[in-house]
Formats: sequence, C-alpha cells, structure tokens
Amino acid sequence: MLERALAIVDRLIALAVGAATLLVLPVSLLLFLQWPLREIFQAYSREANDLAQLLFALYVSCAITYATRKHAHLAADVLAHRYRATTRAGLARAGALAVLVPWAAFMLYASWPIVAQSVRQLEAFPETYNPGYFLVKLALFALALLVLLQALVDVTRKPPAEPR
Amino acid sequence: MSGTGIWMLAAVGALLVATGLPAWMVLIGVALVFSIGGIALGVVSLSLLTAIPARLIGLLESDLLQALPLYVLMGALLNHLPLAKTLYRVGGRALASTGAGGPLAGLGLGVLLAPMNGSVGASVATLSRVVQPRLDAEGVPGERGAALVCVASTLGVVVPPSLVLILLGDAMMRAHTEALNITRASVRIINTQDVFVGALAPAGVLLALVTAMTWWLARRGARSVAARSADSPGWREWIVAVITASFIVALLGGVTLGYLYAVEAAAAGGVALFVFGLASRTLTLAVLREVLRDTMAITGALFALLVAATVFTLVLRAFGTDRWIAAVLSGLGWGEYPTLLVILAVLALCALVLDAFEMIFVVVPVVMPPLLTLVNNVTWVAVLTLLVLQASFLVPPFGYAVLMVRNSIKRPLSMRGLTRALLPYLVAQLCVLALVLAEPALVWQRNPIELSPGGAAKSEEEGREMLERQLDEQLDQNQPEGVETKPSDATPKQ
Repeated sequence: MLERALAIVDRLIALAVGAATLLVLPVSLLLFLQWPLREIFQAYSREANDLAQLLFALYVSCAITYATRKHAHLAADVLAHRYRATTRAGLARAGALAVLVPWAAFMLYASWPIVAQSVRQLEAFPETYNPGYFLVKLALFALALLVLLQALVDVTRKPPAEPR
Repeated sequence: MSGTGIWMLAAVGALLVATGLPAWMVLIGVALVFSIGGIALGVVSLSLLTAIPARLIGLLESDLLQALPLYVLMGALLNHLPLAKTLYRVGGRALASTGAGGPLAGLGLGVLLAPMNGSVGASVATLSRVVQPRLDAEGVPGERGAALVCVASTLGVVVPPSLVLILLGDAMMRAHTEALNITRASVRIINTQDVFVGALAPAGVLLALVTAMTWWLARRGARSVAARSADSPGWREWIVAVITASFIVALLGGVTLGYLYAVEAAAAGGVALFVFGLASRTLTLAVLREVLRDTMAITGALFALLVAATVFTLVLRAFGTDRWIAAVLSGLGWGEYPTLLVILAVLALCALVLDAFEMIFVVVPVVMPPLLTLVNNVTWVAVLTLLVLQASFLVPPFGYAVLMVRNSIKRPLSMRGLTRALLPYLVAQLCVLALVLAEPALVWQRNPIELSPGGAAKSEEEGREMLERQLDEQLDQNQPEGVETKPSDATPKQ
C-alpha cells in the first residue's frame, strides 16, 4: 500500500518537475522582451519583469528536485568513485533520511506563517503593485515540499543490485 | 564557541570527500547538526533559524540570479545545436596556417563557451565531447589534448562576464557590506561590474600567455597535426560561425562593459539561439528536450548549492565565527599582505576538491568579510581570488578540472604525462598571479573604491545610513545608459 502510494507520488513529482522544464523558455522570452518594451514601447516592461520573476521562482522551486532525480548535484568524487554501488546508494538514502527530510520539514514549518499570510492577502509586488507576488513565496513552500517528497521516495526506493 | 564554525567547515570538507554525497546535502546536514547542538547549549536561538525562509525568498526574487538559468540555457543550446562543432571546425581551418589550428580552436571555443557554461564540470563535459576527439584525430597526444581541455574549461573562471564572475561579484558585494558593517569605513561597496572590469586586463594577459603556450606546444608536434587536419568546412558553416562568434562576443562584451544587463543579454542570447535552431531545423523536439533537461538539471544543482550555502553561513554566523575570524586575523598583526596570502592559500587548498560555485557560495562568504576588514582594495582581492581558483583547478592530481577530465575521457591517461602537459600552463598562470599580486594597478577600477573625505562613520546608525545611501548610489551607477528605473542586477534584495 505504502509502496504504491510512493510510486504515485514519484510519478506526480516527475510530471510536475518535467513540466516545469518548459518554464525557462517564457522566462527567457519575457526578460528579452523587457528591453524593447522599455526602450521602444515604454510600457509593460515592469509587468514582463514581474511575470518573469514569478516563473523564475516556480522554475527554481522545481529545479532542485529535478537535479536530484537526474543525479546532477555537484559532489566531490575524490574517494567515493571507488565505493561499491550499494555503498553509495546506502549513503545517499541515509543522507536523504537524516538531512533532507528533517530540513525540508523544518522549512515547511518555518515558512508556513510567511507563505500563508502572503497567500491570504494575495500579496502584490512591493515595488510595482503588480499582482502575484504571493506565488514567489508559495514557490519556496513548493521547493521544500518537493524536496521532502523526493527524499521520502528515495529513502524507500529499493537499493540497486550489486553488479557481479 | 565562536570558533565552532571552523569545525563546521572541517566537517564539511571531511564529509564531502569521505561520503561523495552532494555538496548541498553535506552543507545542510552539517548546519543542521551544529544548529541542534547550538540550540541545546543555548548558543544559537531557534528564532534565528526561522529567518532562513526569508533569506531563501530573497534568492527566489533576486534579479541577478535570474541570469543563471538563462546563461545555462544559452550554453546548453550552443552545446546541443551543431554550433560548437561548427565553431571548432571553422576556427581550426581559419587558424590552420599557424600550425596549431586544432588546439587554438579548442582554446577559442573554451573562451566562447566557458563563460556561459554552468560550471567547470559542464565545460569539461562539452569540450571533452567536441574538442578532444578531433584533437585525437589530428594526432595531438592524449595527455596534451586533455591538458588543453582542462585549461580551456577553466577560462570561464576569469573571462568576463562568466557565471562565476557574476556570482563572485555578488558574493564579494555581500562580503564587503559585512566588512563595512564591522569597520564602519566610508567606502563605496564593490559591485559585479567592478569585478568584470577589474578582471579584464589580467584575463587578457592570461589568455595571451595561454594562447602563446598552446601555439608553441602545438608547433613542437606540428608535423602530425598539420598532416591530418584536412577537414574543410563549407561556406554556410563559415557564415554561421562568424555570425555566432560575433553575436556571443557582442553580448558578452556588452555585459562586461556595462551596456547591457547580464539578465537581458543572456535572455537575448537564448532567444536568438532558439530562433536559429528553429530556422535551421536543427532544434528538433528531441534536441529541445535535451536542452531543457540539461538547463534545469544544472540550474537545480547550482541553486541547491546556493540554498545550502545560505543555510550554512547563517548557522556559522549564529556562532559568531565570522567575527571570531576577523578578530583572530587582526589580532595576529601580520598586516594586509601576509594575511591576504594566507587567505589565498586557504582558497587554493579548498579549490582542490571544490567546484568554483561551491567555493563562491561556501568558502568566500566565510573568509572574505574578515579579510576585507583589513584589505581596502576589494576589486584586487576579487581578481586574485579568481586567479587562485583557476590555477588550483589545474593542479594535478586533485585539481578539480584534472579530476573531471580524467573522469570524462574514457581512456587511461598517464598522470605524469598530463602533469608535464599542464606544467607550462600552470607556470603561465602563476606568472599572471604573481604579476597581479605585485602590481595591483593591473586591476582596472572604474570608480576607485577608496575612503571618502568624510572618513569613518561615527556610529552604527550613521554606518547603516551610509551603506543604504551607497547602495542607492550604486543602483544609479549600474544602470545601462539611458535607463532610468530598473532594480540593478547587482543590488542585493536581502
């Protein structure tokens, strides 16, 4: 039952972070358009900037978990490349359980008051008063939630078979 | 308890090497354990740790950091579209008459790509894939080709406006602000543009030396190289290569000289490459998927490190280690020059096992504020840091670039041969480092960072007001010409 639930969570995470890979395209386009909007049309450049900031925050909130899933995080491999695959997998699971789960849980707890208040007020951008700033804060919550769920999935994942 | 942060750093170093776990996990783990210990002993307050979300929101809304995925996107597009190969082939042909076309083209490709790649590791991966096989085909000895890939991959550390320079500029600005909070001196705070401009001359000297060295080394084995390089690009490739190289140089130059925001230039580059890919039909759905995948994976890895370093340095400061280091350094009474040398040596040692980003996010925030309380020439320190980092990445056998190249080239390389091939480049780098150490004037300063006539501020209140005023002034100075309102991409929001 638990295994099945975690498999569903795993697929949902894959879907969410996979879809988020596309966000870098509108971020790029909006930040590019800022220049002509500001210099030529002299309008909507701040709106483009704010929208790009929202999408950027959402992108980053998914990117960390995406890097975890793709094993792209930077690591010093000086000694560890000599370890057996099972040893490395065991270390990774221990790290996820002892570090990422409690940290992400603490982040969810500590960020909740800030995020909840911002969402309740539908907080706008402080400099431009454009709507949607609460999504930036919500992105932090999403970041921590994704890290927590991914760590739980990784902890319960079956270790790789040792090559003979 | 103030020195606890040193134990934290030692624990990070030991765990990184011993476990091979991702650096961000190790940083957060160490911060977690020490903060629990600190809370239990009553040294660290829990309320301080609840400040972490606010600091992380600062990262998510940073204008400067928006440039990061955009640069990575530009680098990924260059890697996955046939542009990198085209640039290399055309460069090799154009420089064939020098007798060192392949190696010089490889170096040139490194200069163009390295500023946009996510890290030294990403540059090594690209250049190993594009340059190394062709150098092999041209008869360049394996160790010499690997040494060239190593050197070219680290050029992004010093050639502006690389990601490393952007982030170091930001880290130095924060460190300088903290140092001024301690000294309360009336000094303009360094910004990213200062680091760009300051790095120009030393980077130019280094590039000239490295190019000369590459040419000289290739000429020594010229017979085999010249005989086998008959790969001739067509006129379409020439046009594409010239336009691409000019476009990249214009963008990077515009950012370096302050005419363009780093964010907008990177966005323009990404859009232009995307349109080129569509127009040339080389950006297929499969390629786009790979580009998006690489961009997000590298961006995620860098942001994870940034998040972890933010948590780690907050805990370290909660123990008061930053002030402790400052007190120890000033208590030694060595003066600024020996202290600077010690800090640079520490950075060099750390760089043997850490990537440039790990150095900037973790080590620089700890060692720089105390150093900057003693040394006034901040831009000089920033450029020296870059040069030390780059040189350290190349020191065999544990230099980061050396390790990455050995991992990415799937055949055995003689460490002795690689060391011999790297030695001339290392000598060139040490010469530039010694030159900049001896002659700080080599580091150009747009607006010299010096004491104002007012001297030191009298009180903490005055100091804070002064810093706020300087940040506002800096905001105005950082605007590209003709721009009146836009938050500066070099201004911290935290």
